[in-house]
Amino acid sequence: MERNELDENTGTSAIVEIIDNGPIKISGEIMFWDLKRDITDSPSEIYLCRCGKSSNKPYCDSSHKMRL
Amino acid sequence: MERPRNHFTRGRSYKNDEITVYWKPDACIHASYCYRELIEVFDPGRRPWIDLSGSNTERIIEVVNMCPTEALSWKWNEDARNIDVERDQTNHIKFKRPELMSTEKAKDEIRPVSVKIMVDGPVVVKGNFTIRYNGKEKNFTNGIISLCRCGGSNQMPFCDGTHRKIGFEDK
Ligand code: FES
Repeated sequence: MERNELDENTGTSAIVEIIDNGPIKISGEIMFWDLKRDITDSPSEIYLCRCGKSSNKPYCDSSHKMRL
Repeated sequence: MERPRNHFTRGRSYKNDEITVYWKPDACIHASYCYRELIEVFDPGRRPWIDLSGSNTERIIEVVNMCPTEALSWKWNEDARNIDVERDQTNHIKFKRPELMSTEKAKDEIRPVSVKIMVDGPVVVKGNFTIRYNGKEKNFTNGIISLCRCGGSNQMPFCDGTHRKIGFEDK
């Protein structure tokens, strides 16, 4: 008898994590489009700015910390 | 690139030569049929608590079928046998966890989640994903959400259209 160590796969492909007072972290199987800058990519992990202040948009550059 | 895709959900599965038994802990209401009927297989004091070698397939199926929730369910390992399972097999995955019936197919077909940065607006996430915010966790199947990037939403973390009012320019 063999025991399956893995959890079942119910089809979630990615995790979106809203970091308190910080960026949006998305990890997993991602298809990424930036319609403003015309970028297509498939990163395994991205951190997106959600304070509007990053100078490296759409990515977080830790500008949110400057608010404190 | 290979990534473990299975750590996203909770639950376990146990196999013998003929069947797989699925355990979904958050569905258990502690009705206790399983270990009262068959402690050799279902022993809450043991790790792992399910050991299918403790009895025969027929008896294990019988006891799994007693579980009043979908905490315990089962399937034949031979895929073709699962299709015509009758309704009296109450806890077969076809009736308790239909989402598992297509697991094998779903594995071949990894569908990435689409993440779209809208021009001077939110980021739109689409597909099968889990979102965590404020200590909460929510699963979306074929879902779509739009998350604020301007910093001005009154419904954080979601976009409520404020970006337009404040003239958010993504640059
Ligand atoms: S991006 Fe829409 S409210 Fe902030």
